[in-house]
Amino acid sequence: MVYTDYLFFPFFLAAVLLYFGLPLKVRWIGLLAASMFFFFTWGVELLPFAVGAVVVAWAASCLMKREYLKQDERLLREKAWDAAKKAAFRRKVKQRCRYLLWAAVTLIVGMLVYIKAQHMLAGVPVLTSAVWFFSKVYQHIGRFFMLHMPVLGIFVKDTGVMETFTEFSFFVPLGISYYTMSLVGYLADVYWRKEEAEKNILLLLLYALYFPKILAGPIVKYRDCAPMLREGHPFAYQRMCEGLQRMLWGYVKKMVIADRLNLFVSPVFAAYEDYHGAVLLVAAVGSVFYTFCDFSGCMDIALGASQVFGVELTENFKRPFFSVSVAEYWRRWHMTLGIWFKDYVYMPLAVSPRLIRLSGKLRDRFGKRAGKNCMTVVPLCVVWLLTGLWHSTGWNYIVWGSYWGSLIILSTIFEPEITRLSGLFHIPVHSRGFQAVRMLRLFMLVIVSRILTEPGSLAASAEILKKIVFQFYPWELFDGTLYTLGLDRPGLHLAAISVCMLGIIGWKQEKGIVFRDKIAGLPIVLRWSVLLAGIAAVLVFGIYGTGYDAGSFLYMNY
Amino acid sequence: MEEKVLEVLAQEYPQIDFSASQALVDDGILDSLTITGMIAALSMEFGIVIPYEEIIEENFNSVKALAQMVERLRG
Repeated sequence: MVYTDYLFFPFFLAAVLLYFGLPLKVRWIGLLAASMFFFFTWGVELLPFAVGAVVVAWAASCLMKREYLKQDERLLREKAWDAAKKAAFRRKVKQRCRYLLWAAVTLIVGMLVYIKAQHMLAGVPVLTSAVWFFSKVYQHIGRFFMLHMPVLGIFVKDTGVMETFTEFSFFVPLGISYYTMSLVGYLADVYWRKEEAEKNILLLLLYALYFPKILAGPIVKYRDCAPMLREGHPFAYQRMCEGLQRMLWGYVKKMVIADRLNLFVSPVFAAYEDYHGAVLLVAAVGSVFYTFCDFSGCMDIALGASQVFGVELTENFKRPFFSVSVAEYWRRWHMTLGIWFKDYVYMPLAVSPRLIRLSGKLRDRFGKRAGKNCMTVVPLCVVWLLTGLWHSTGWNYIVWGSYWGSLIILSTIFEPEITRLSGLFHIPVHSRGFQAVRMLRLFMLVIVSRILTEPGSLAASAEILKKIVFQFYPWELFDGTLYTLGLDRPGLHLAAISVCMLGIIGWKQEKGIVFRDKIAGLPIVLRWSVLLAGIAAVLVFGIYGTGYDAGSFLYMNY
Repeated sequence: MEEKVLEVLAQEYPQIDFSASQALVDDGILDSLTITGMIAALSMEFGIVIPYEEIIEENFNSVKALAQMVERLRG
């Protein structure tokens, strides 16, 4: 089940009724039940892997907490110890906790690595056999229900329990990239004593599998999410309206804009050899907006759905195409992924004693600047390699990660020279015109990054870039070619107009306008007209097409 | 200690006025890159290791908080 399935709406309604029907203190159990059901629809035999990861994280965090508690008690007791002895004792405890952390992280991340690398490990079907085993167990349970308790039998049938898992097939537990990062972040925060270990394993399970964020994030820190999950929220009409409005906006972006654009983009990239540069460039621009609308639309649905329950998830987008630099773009696009890598990879690496020592040596040998740059370049290289691999193990994503990493590293290292040159040539860097030029430049860099990943192979990406540069025939933009590639004239015009409207809305939001407040302030007739227009847009213009999987979200595949 | 810390930071980042605010991180005056540079400079100058647990907003929001952290880590 995904957010655009017909079944999602009755499921969501049932989840809301269940949540608000339960007493306040146990409403989180309603959320857990709904999240487990949501996971079941993807293959109940995959649940043990998610549960296993949570059990490992919970056990490791509880053991670390016990170590720290014993440490604090001992330090209070041993008043005769001097500072050196206390420091040595703390180091030993820290070391034990570090072993626990690394053991747990290795198990949890190891599973993710195995999943991502399955196509290379097809001859070693360890986990695949386990999936097959669990599948058979659940099928026997399902048959029992269908024979002896028919009502429950319908339930198990519809949740996919009776689906046969073929041995040695590839499998991907729902949301594994996302719950893996969530659990690793939680473990790291417990290790660094920034977070208290969670005593209640079911609450940790809810945090990992919470259905609004399991599909494609956002990747929320435990301390930002758990208190809201744990505490039951009373029904609030205004909050529910805002949540539903946000979901509606997400459906417009996903079903009216993203899925429509992809009807054009996918066929062009699938048969790129048949097209010239102008068409490929339009497809690449379409792909950029498709990715944005698909992913941010998914986030709007997720955050809106969660808001209905009173759980405010972290924002993942902040109008990224209004960025003027690469660094700013990545502070506005997939923000929670960037924050995760900053807090759990970049900063720990950058301030590690080893890197500081290396930085000191480089500073002594080559000067202050070399030392400073080392502390930036090394962690950024690691972050961007991992970011690429997180998306996919293919070479195209490794190149994609290197591409963005290089741009950020170069712009950071040469920032003093760029500032000097701007002054030398009297470039009005703060003027609106120059900002617009920078935004356009940034957008072109984003187009190139989409070309690196959309076609699926580096050879295809190189060919497409070559055609855009050397076979750009602008007359193809006006001779009707664009209307023969998957979207007819009205369809393509609707897509273009929708993207322009999105741009205008984003520009107004940049100026501080909050559209939800504006709509809430309208007279009731106008307000409902806007909302009904949104619903009508999804029903009339939404893509429910055959031959295209309009139900899937792009970032679910990572 | 506070004056020494300010001197080290001013030498490393002359473009930043560290005394201008008591909320250097919260006000956006310091970003991740600057903080990592400050950590390196303080580590090398005072011969301390700043554990990652100490890298929190409260310790970096003002020169005074930084000086207290350095004193604590020097023992």
